[in-house]
Amino acid sequence: MKQDGDIIIGIDLGTTNSLVAFADAAGPRLIAGGGGDDDVIVPSFVRFEADGRTIVGEAARDHAVEHPLETVYSIKRLMGRGSAELAEEARRLPYRVEKLSGVEGRDVAAVVAGGRTWTPPQVSALILGELKRRAEAYFGREVRKAVITVPAQFDDAQRQATRDAGLIAGLEVVRIVNEPTAAALAYGLDRASSKMIAVYDFGGGTFDISLLRVEGGVFEVLAVDGDTHLGGDDLDRTLIELFSGEIREQSGHDIDSPAIRQQLRSLAEAVKVRLSDEDRTSVEIAVGASFTYRRQVTKTELEALIAPFVDRTLEACRRALKAAKRSAAEVAEVVLVGGSTRIPLVRRAVGELFGRRPYTALNPEHVVALGAAVQASILSGSRQDLLLLDVTPLSLGIETLGGAVGKLIGANTRVPCKAVETFTTFQDGQTAVKINVLQGERELAADCRSLGVFELRGVPPMPAGMPKVEVMFLIDANGILNVSARESRSGVEASIQIVPSHGLTREEVRRMQREAVEHAREDMSAHHLIDVRATVEFDLNKAERMIREHGALLAPADRASLSEAAAALRALARESCDARFINERREAFNRRLIPLAESALTEALKT
Amino acid sequence: MSQCVECGAVLSAPICCDNCGAIFDPPPGTDHFSLLGFPRVYALDEDRLAQDFRRLTAKVHPDRHARRSEDVRELATRLTADLNRAYAVVSDGARRADYLLELAGGPTASEERGVPGDLLAEVMEVREALEQARGVGDRRTIERLRQVNESKRRQTLDEIAALASAIETASVRQRQRLRLLLNALRYFENLTTELA
Repeated sequence: MKQDGDIIIGIDLGTTNSLVAFADAAGPRLIAGGGGDDDVIVPSFVRFEADGRTIVGEAARDHAVEHPLETVYSIKRLMGRGSAELAEEARRLPYRVEKLSGVEGRDVAAVVAGGRTWTPPQVSALILGELKRRAEAYFGREVRKAVITVPAQFDDAQRQATRDAGLIAGLEVVRIVNEPTAAALAYGLDRASSKMIAVYDFGGGTFDISLLRVEGGVFEVLAVDGDTHLGGDDLDRTLIELFSGEIREQSGHDIDSPAIRQQLRSLAEAVKVRLSDEDRTSVEIAVGASFTYRRQVTKTELEALIAPFVDRTLEACRRALKAAKRSAAEVAEVVLVGGSTRIPLVRRAVGELFGRRPYTALNPEHVVALGAAVQASILSGSRQDLLLLDVTPLSLGIETLGGAVGKLIGANTRVPCKAVETFTTFQDGQTAVKINVLQGERELAADCRSLGVFELRGVPPMPAGMPKVEVMFLIDANGILNVSARESRSGVEASIQIVPSHGLTREEVRRMQREAVEHAREDMSAHHLIDVRATVEFDLNKAERMIREHGALLAPADRASLSEAAAALRALARESCDARFINERREAFNRRLIPLAESALTEALKT
Repeated sequence: MSQCVECGAVLSAPICCDNCGAIFDPPPGTDHFSLLGFPRVYALDEDRLAQDFRRLTAKVHPDRHARRSEDVRELATRLTADLNRAYAVVSDGARRADYLLELAGGPTASEERGVPGDLLAEVMEVREALEQARGVGDRRTIERLRQVNESKRRQTLDEIAALASAIETASVRQRQRLRLLLNALRYFENLTTELA
């Protein structure tokens, strides 16, 4: 696979599943792992072992029930958030969520697993690392740049956290793209005619609706709406609550153990999936030694449970239409994205709202990664006929006197966009001004999300009210806020110190980046395992050839035992997942081979 | 029209060159109209404006300069932000009129907050009638209120358009009138949302 310049991969970093893709002139395609062409999904699960090792993906997901406290999933729901706002969420997760310590003035959520604390970007970085390795194995060279998708409704802190995760994984995130927009890009690639499309993206943890106008390769987002805390996880939860309530009633058992919680979660997900095709299904779960819970669940029952959530998505669709000043009838095509759109009730409801059958030809779980890859190809220059124009999902404002919000940039404004606001001082000689920057649609600062307090410093000392500090708030194409300031009387550039409310500082991200590199070095991870196995195979082939050609130089017993050792090493390399151990055995085997190699050399010199 | 500093070609808009693809900061004092390559007038072809805006965006957007230096990428981001802002103002009739009024010397919305005649009393009456109609589920009255409001909104917009079209030669009294109408429009638009 030859590639000039920097390779840019496209990544769908999902709540439940993550994927990596690449696009060139021939179009986008998913990059598979070692398990064959269909092995394209990396479950967003990470298990933290007591010895410091980390296991990412399928192996972590499949054994989540046995390791409820060490297996971290749905980490995306914690990205860029504080522990206080996650209190309710955390109660439902089997693993521990805490407030990161040692970060004064901020509330950053962290998880505790494998005997240490991890911030959400660090956990996400481990998933990204696995995707990066897959891409590197595919290209046979290092990959350093990526486009990563996020829910359209992600705020500044959540986007920053995603970018931090990339940095920690050794990836420069050249663009954050909204998931529904990416899906539209993958979907509308070859459609030249001008039309409006709606992307209904109902994933594992988030819901987004985006309305776009597509014309001549330009994808223009008209409006977005959604809910960052509404997804398949919530649908599972209604079933979990139903089951656990009944189990408590029937058995009298207190079932709130992490293991049962994890077991119920897997069961609920399975029921949801089965009822997409069937009208009824049965569940069975052993609670302790004496009680087994059995029950039939019908599709009608499930639909009644999840209908309120589906209604919430429809409400968001109506709001988006209103914001775009369009009617449902003007939408020419509805594209479904995300695993939750496999549910028949969801498809029916969306079809009714827009008065047309949703388009489902693309795999709803693949389309976002494919779109991310297309955007990557735009940025790398390999596609120049396409352009994506997106909007900011939330209004940006500043706290004014009395705790009100002064709006600077409205929701659904095209990005990049900017606003300039002038600030002054209240006291003579004051040299610093604090600005609380907010995101959200509410009237009061307390009801919006604070992105952080921006402290302007270096304001020249003047009488109160005299300085005029012009602050420029610029939202870039990633939807990330950049702030700069200048005192306009003196022309002095004021410096800005940002204390993110729920995020990490640059220094912290850099430290985590270093740690990740060290960790990767110590950690005999999957990538290393593949390398070690390949080396073993290479060494064994060499050794076997030597035994074949020069084995006569050894005593028959020695020769047999060497062959046996070779076979044992081969079996070990195949069966063991402990790269360090395999490597030790490989080195031991090579040491045993030295006498034969020396004899062979002596023999060769003789002739 | 000025010329491109890179290749000398004549520029159709002050921020990018159709010939060589270079982008640059517009001259100081460039207004929203000239940023888009349009004359400073109220009456304009909105379809052409939309087309020109898209064409310019396709030239200056940061994605089109992703492999250039960081300085160029920052400039592209800033220019696209300016372009988006200019288009948002110029493409909307009322905002365009408001901006022309500001360029002509105002009064601006913060200098003059008044509305014409009895508008505030009228709006209050509509709100009361709406509340009453909602209370008894009287859809016909709500529909009638909506129609009346819509026709007033249109009337106001028409008068705004007439005044804004002649803004260059408008008297102080006419500019004052335009201000009051623009302020009034906000009330009709809020009512449109409430009556929906």
